[in-house]
Amino acid sequence: MKNKNKKPFDFWIFAAVILLLSLGTIMVFSSSYYFSVKTVGNSFFLLIPQLEYMALSILVLILTMNFDYRRWGKLSPLILMICIGLLILVLIPGIGQKQNGAQRWLGVGSKTVQPSEMAKIALIMFLSFSLSKRKDVLKSFTRGLVPYLLLIGFVAGLVVIEPHLSGTLIIVITSCIILFCAGARISHFVAMAVPAVAAVVVAILAAPYRFDRVKAWLHPFDYAMDEGWQTVQSLLAIGSGGLFGRGLGQSMQKYLYIPEPYNDYIFAILSEELGFIGAMFVMLLFLVFIWRGIKVAMNAPDTFGSLLATGITSLIGIQFLFNVAVVTNSIPSTGISLPFFSYGGTSLMLLMFGVGVLLNISRYSNYERL
Amino acid sequence: MTNMNIKLKKRLLFILGFFTFFTICLISRIAWIQFVNGQEYQQKAFEQQTSNRTISPKRGTIYDRNMEPLAVSGSVETISCSPQVIKKLSLDVDKISSDLSAILSMDKETIRKKLVKSSRYELIKKKVDKDIGSKVRQWKKDNEIDGIYIDEDTKRFYPNSNLAAHVVGFTNVDNDGLDGVEKIMDKYLKGVPGKILSEVDASGVELSMGQEQYIQPQDGNDVILTIDETIQYFAEKTLEKAISDNNVINGATAIVMDPRNGEILALTSKPDFDLNNPRAAPSGVDKTAWTGTSTEDVQYLQKTVWRNKAVVDTYEPGSTFKPVTASAGLEEGLVTPETQVTDATIKVGGWNIHCWKPNAHLHETFREGVYNSCNPVFVRLAQQLGISKFYSYIKAFGFYQKTGIDLPGEAISIIHTKPTEIDMCTASFGQRFQITPIQLIQAYGAIANGGELITPHVVKEVIDSSGNVIKKYEPNVVRRVISKQTSGTVVDILRGVVDVGTGKNARVPGYKIGGKTGTSETVASKDIVVQGKNKRYIVSFSAIAPTDNPSLCVLVVLDWPDVYSPGGGMLVAPVVGKLIDDILTYQGVEKEYTDEDKKLLQKEVQVPDVKGKTVEEAIKILKQNKLEYKIEGSNKDMKAVVQAQTPKSSALLNENSLVILYTYKPESEAKATVPDVKNKSVYEATQAFKAVGLNIRINGTGTAVSQDKEAGKVITKGTVVEVMFRNIVSD
Repeated sequence: MKNKNKKPFDFWIFAAVILLLSLGTIMVFSSSYYFSVKTVGNSFFLLIPQLEYMALSILVLILTMNFDYRRWGKLSPLILMICIGLLILVLIPGIGQKQNGAQRWLGVGSKTVQPSEMAKIALIMFLSFSLSKRKDVLKSFTRGLVPYLLLIGFVAGLVVIEPHLSGTLIIVITSCIILFCAGARISHFVAMAVPAVAAVVVAILAAPYRFDRVKAWLHPFDYAMDEGWQTVQSLLAIGSGGLFGRGLGQSMQKYLYIPEPYNDYIFAILSEELGFIGAMFVMLLFLVFIWRGIKVAMNAPDTFGSLLATGITSLIGIQFLFNVAVVTNSIPSTGISLPFFSYGGTSLMLLMFGVGVLLNISRYSNYERL
Repeated sequence: MTNMNIKLKKRLLFILGFFTFFTICLISRIAWIQFVNGQEYQQKAFEQQTSNRTISPKRGTIYDRNMEPLAVSGSVETISCSPQVIKKLSLDVDKISSDLSAILSMDKETIRKKLVKSSRYELIKKKVDKDIGSKVRQWKKDNEIDGIYIDEDTKRFYPNSNLAAHVVGFTNVDNDGLDGVEKIMDKYLKGVPGKILSEVDASGVELSMGQEQYIQPQDGNDVILTIDETIQYFAEKTLEKAISDNNVINGATAIVMDPRNGEILALTSKPDFDLNNPRAAPSGVDKTAWTGTSTEDVQYLQKTVWRNKAVVDTYEPGSTFKPVTASAGLEEGLVTPETQVTDATIKVGGWNIHCWKPNAHLHETFREGVYNSCNPVFVRLAQQLGISKFYSYIKAFGFYQKTGIDLPGEAISIIHTKPTEIDMCTASFGQRFQITPIQLIQAYGAIANGGELITPHVVKEVIDSSGNVIKKYEPNVVRRVISKQTSGTVVDILRGVVDVGTGKNARVPGYKIGGKTGTSETVASKDIVVQGKNKRYIVSFSAIAPTDNPSLCVLVVLDWPDVYSPGGGMLVAPVVGKLIDDILTYQGVEKEYTDEDKKLLQKEVQVPDVKGKTVEEAIKILKQNKLEYKIEGSNKDMKAVVQAQTPKSSALLNENSLVILYTYKPESEAKATVPDVKNKSVYEATQAFKAVGLNIRINGTGTAVSQDKEAGKVITKGTVVEVMFRNIVSD
């Protein structure tokens, strides 16, 4: 674990991410140009900023992949505290920006950031750092697991009242994967599962709009004109794709049938244009990324690196699974973007930040231990 | 450390497995959506992504047998709009609706309401003329408006308005046939609609780079009828005159059929309606509350002007049915035309059945029995046949089934299912059961054509737009009913009915016509009693011509003529005679005059101009023209100059009529009083008119029944008075 052991970064992860990002940018252009023409009369309206974000995020990637990941450990308590501060700030009326009834954004005009996006990475870093320092602490329920659960619950609680259910779920699931890999007892998980499921049920029943979404999930075509609209349009897009798709740029569903085709439902447009082959190719790329990410975690030189790699890989993997599950109506609809594909600056930059950290960890892999 | 790492790696492998498992699940889910639900979803997606505007095909033409068009389709246009597009483009709805209301002459508010609906397609106005369509197109271009569409459409037009209304039928605004041949042949006439499919976005706006697919409509096929426009015209004019002459209350029908193949040459039912405006209020209806589309209005139309009495009404045929009974008796060999029969009153089941002239024809041949239309003769014949034989003939003649004519709404006869003796006896002379006019003419067809029952039909052929025959309707022989020989005998007897019997008024010099009169007091008449009107009778005459080689069967039925003494022989026979004369003359059938005919023939001559000539010269010219003269004026000198004449030159007069010559310049013309000639013979009447210096035009034969100038009226000498003569007969 000396600096002289520094190796080249993991080529597979790099290649998969660059491929996903390139394909994602193409799809943003393809899916957004009609929307752009209709709203501002310029077909590149969304492509240009996306290209800027892409360039910027690659810069972030290059910086972080050369930044020793071990330094993040000591910084992580501070970063988490800042993020928690921002999560509180965003809830204050007049400071946080409200869109579609959810108060999730900070910033001015169109230049906005979502504190919940940052909190995801910050929490992963802090959990990995803290757990690697306090080995075996998780064997105890009250002294080990409960304090972490309280912390996770606190962060998740701030996100859920925005409200941002999907963000909450991602935070909770990713954190649980870290706790699991850090050695938490299976029995504790089982014991926690009961209240967790109950909490989800309560959350669904508490908000009528979530309940409607569940109904629309079960019978989308019965609600095709209201709650089920996006789901139905997404299914029609995927169904129109067939084996090889309608061809790149040939989607019909992007003509505003899917309301923001360059966003959460971009995968449906991809399936329509590139068909089963294209969709499977993208999903396999994600799987390659996950496989290599887990491999990096296994070969990391220390527990911190291992848990951090696991957290980052899981974060991207969970978002990917959730997004495709929503787009294919495998779970009730909730707003969740597809990593590297969906339009948006902050989330892409934070993703690439995570990938950079992951690639940096890969440079310290200890293969002899295998 | 090592333990810890092994545990960590195990858990990491578990996490990898977790992700792999769910990724495979989702790949399968996508495969399911694309390969199992794919077709359904693609279809749904296609439907929402394309706007679909229909282009009406051109409906086929309906022609008469000589390719004269009876129903044609003209090109018009339909104006529609897409409220979604108008909303999306934020167009000025007020301006559009006021502009369109001016161009289309429609209510502005009606248009505005359509423009603001939340649908993708709304119809504004159907079937506007081409020039209005062009105006809308120009306006759209000038104002750069989208979301208003002008598409091809067709509109039905009937060049002959009322002619053959019940046969041709009409369509609704969607070009669906609703009545007549338009309905029966709808699938051939209709064609296949075309479509304009264009790709649209979710708000219904057409994609500028989208594809537009134009599916050409397939025009309908043309239908050629067996109807002859000219014969139809004759039939309608004749029937209209008969209705007004006889104050017919409840409508009338006339059918002309070619018995050799069942082709209907003319079929008319009165009252009728203008095919171009079938929902107009019939005369005598309060127009203020009339819509023409409400349930009550439609029911009223169906009851009156839309009603095709030839196939929808049932009536008691009366004596016109007797040839059927006669055919059965002759076919079974129970009688010959020369068999001695009696019309002595006969008692059946407590009823006395006697002749219209009771016991007047005690000794006559069967032939004479038919001529005189003696009921007891037919009752006896039916009794000889027996119930089962008699009814088997009725069945064979088609009176138990619909004829199957290719017109809508044919009624079924109301006829005994388990006939008794009295049923049979009354049926033998055509009473106590009801049939349709078309059934009767079908039976007459079998009598006329050598004995075969043939389905009457109005459609001859279906052709495509290039004239290729797609379907041909050959005569459908249902069955043989009687032998050729019996057929010939019955036709011969029927000719006698017209020549010397109760059908005399149908006689047309030069043509050989057979026929039978009929009068029946309908059962329904008991329900309908109109104050100040005569009793409801249905009078009819059914004829076959020419009897030596029948090519026409004609049936005319008048429902409730409001006259004192109704009878088919009096009222309908002359109508049918005139109609047959018109048709055969039109068909170019030469008249062959018998000696008897020649006597009846009234030769007409044109009055020559003799003004300015001397009396001597004038008399010479009039004699050459077989006209008689009378001189008015004191100057009887043969050298005197004729100052004036009545009638004036070129008027038509019967031979031996009077021309009055004035030898002075009359200040006022000489006058004469019209004599009363009622019930006088042709000869007596002619003499009476001559005596006072008036001319007579003779219409018909027999005794005078009416005259067109009232008796006692003072009119100019030499004027022509038309006098109608009829043979006083009963049915």
